[in-house]
Amino acid sequence: MEKENIIEVKDLHVDIKMMEGTLTPVRGVNFEIKKGETLGLVGESGCGKSITCKAILGINDKKCIPSGEIVFRNEDENEVDLLKMDPKGKEIRNVRGKQISMIFQEPMVAFSPMYTIGNQINEATLLHITKDKKKAKEISLEVMRKVGIANVEKRYNQYPHEFSGGMLQRALIAMALVCNPKLLIADEPTTALDVTIQAQILELMKELQKEFDMAILFITHDLGVVAKMCDRVAVMYLGRIVETGDATTIYANPQHPYTRGLMGSVHKIGGRKDERLFSIEGTVPLAMNLPKQCGFYDRCDARIEGLCDKAEPELVEIEKGHKIACFACQNAACQAHRKEVEERLKREESTKEPVEGGKKRGKR
Amino acid sequence: MEDKVSKKSFVEGLKEFFRKDLVQYIVKRVLMFFPTLLLISILVFFVIQLPPGDYVSAHIAALATEGELVDADYAASMRADYGLDLPVWQQYLKWVKDIIWTPSDTPYYRLYHSHHNWKYSFAYGRDVWSVVNDRLGLTIGVTAIIMLFQYLVSIPIAVYASTHQYSAGDYISAIIGFLGTAIPNFILAIVLMYLSYKWTGNANVGLFSQEMLKNGVHLYNFGEFLKRMIIPIIVIGTSGTCGIIRSVRAQMLDEVAQQYTLTARAKGVPEGKIIMKYCFRAAINPTVSGLGGVLSSLFSGSTVTALVLNMQIQGPVLYKALLSQDMYLAGAIVMIQAVLVVIGVLLSDIALAFLDPRIRYSGGGR
Repeated sequence: MEKENIIEVKDLHVDIKMMEGTLTPVRGVNFEIKKGETLGLVGESGCGKSITCKAILGINDKKCIPSGEIVFRNEDENEVDLLKMDPKGKEIRNVRGKQISMIFQEPMVAFSPMYTIGNQINEATLLHITKDKKKAKEISLEVMRKVGIANVEKRYNQYPHEFSGGMLQRALIAMALVCNPKLLIADEPTTALDVTIQAQILELMKELQKEFDMAILFITHDLGVVAKMCDRVAVMYLGRIVETGDATTIYANPQHPYTRGLMGSVHKIGGRKDERLFSIEGTVPLAMNLPKQCGFYDRCDARIEGLCDKAEPELVEIEKGHKIACFACQNAACQAHRKEVEERLKREESTKEPVEGGKKRGKR
Repeated sequence: MEDKVSKKSFVEGLKEFFRKDLVQYIVKRVLMFFPTLLLISILVFFVIQLPPGDYVSAHIAALATEGELVDADYAASMRADYGLDLPVWQQYLKWVKDIIWTPSDTPYYRLYHSHHNWKYSFAYGRDVWSVVNDRLGLTIGVTAIIMLFQYLVSIPIAVYASTHQYSAGDYISAIIGFLGTAIPNFILAIVLMYLSYKWTGNANVGLFSQEMLKNGVHLYNFGEFLKRMIIPIIVIGTSGTCGIIRSVRAQMLDEVAQQYTLTARAKGVPEGKIIMKYCFRAAINPTVSGLGGVLSSLFSGSTVTALVLNMQIQGPVLYKALLSQDMYLAGAIVMIQAVLVVIGVLLSDIALAFLDPRIRYSGGGR
């Protein structure tokens, strides 16, 4: 693990065993986040973003079985594999909320209606930092002030239903930051908020990131938000990362057909009024019994018949830090990968055919 | 130092509990109590007047079957004695007035030294309150034990079943739960009495031995009393237990799936604390609101089961009073029960307001 990385996710799979078969919402995800950096994880609904980030904290439903490696550099600068920890054990609980914390999509339901905001913000402090309630309260008030909640003394004793949505999201951020974590996972933190509040919350998160010097894993399907927030972007499709690189590179030069489709479906200022927004046809397929082909094959406009429906492309680095998984890309590195796969397919076919033929003959 | 901190935060906690909105809510609910009471008393009085005839006609009919003829004058004078000849609304006003306050110079006060005259029980031939009072302590005691049993048994089972969904324990509790709800109490009572007779040679019928009826329940015969409590507890307890298990389990499952449970887990809160602090606290709400009915059932007990098991509690008394048109006794019992329901609902509403801040906020209640 490189020294500046705070977390490395290596070949993460998540399986869900169901009556109908095994669902695989995450199929070999790789990414790393450097200290103090923001990585945007982009993709449409159902592509496995949320499950990936919940797997980091080990808070997925118990039906979800993760495999692979999630190496985290903990507070003592030791590298630990989060997946090896017992999801109910003390070890991972010491990571949750203290070293890695999470902000959820809908602030309105992320707080229990039964307890005051103060009580719920305090909880992490009391678990991880101090047993002294007075001190914990002071810490909470301080963080609440930092996230821009006015009149904190009064707000501290109020219940979630007495807060507006934007204020609740601020409180949720305060709750996540109260232990000064090194990595913050933000799962679509602004999706449930209206646009003006969205901008405020994003601005706030940026400021706090600098102040607390933490890395952020920012999950969203909103490319505008990504442009504003992220240093690097990973585009996810059907449980895999299909393109990753610096945010500026990906915006200037998207390579994967899916990324290009996503970019095309965003409003542009100065675009023609009667221009229709581009939309990608179809939906993400169900991640069960997937055929051995590129996940985007059915919806892709650059697909290569006979190749894309036979093998799934791996991530290939086409320039420094910019990786893409696509056979159709004209870049030299991608073409080399394409050639390699084509040859492998040919070899497999030539060894396979007699066997299959033999079977058929046997049946006759 | 540690002590000081915890004391102070306890006082703060109390202050937080008795915030202005909570006090307002309680005052509002208490004020609503009185008009409800008035309506109930009117309803109760007219309901017990509904059956044709009154106690005097029932009494005369009973005498007639014994071959004794009563003339109209005697009946009229009897009605006048009991105030049954007045218009219904006057009877009602007098009834209510006497219950609320009977002055010291009335014959009733001189006789019983009580300011609350619940009138006369024709069937028992004595003061209504003394009839009710006879069984009051016992009824409350017996039912309280059964209730306690219900909640102590059912809630832990429900929490276990919900945290171990689809485990063997969950299925077993579900099977017992459905059986307990489906089998009528009186059948279970008869079966248990039969089994008890078969195995121990004693059907354990009735709550008391003859000796206990004479001397009352004391420490030396308390063991015997408890032994006689076993069948009632199982019979009355199981049916309620099953209902509570099912509802608490379903609520718990709802809560476990809530987003805030996940938030708590992401904060590093231990699993047990998540269940108790977040899930259980929210899941208990419907059960607490169900407590409203408990007070009145504490008073009346379980009538049918009590009849089958020959338990000396209030339920059978009401049953007999209704049969014999003993209107003041029936009225008193129904009225007391109704008041207890209202008080129970009031208490459970206040308990709910403590539990759930959203209820005090809206100020409405259910």
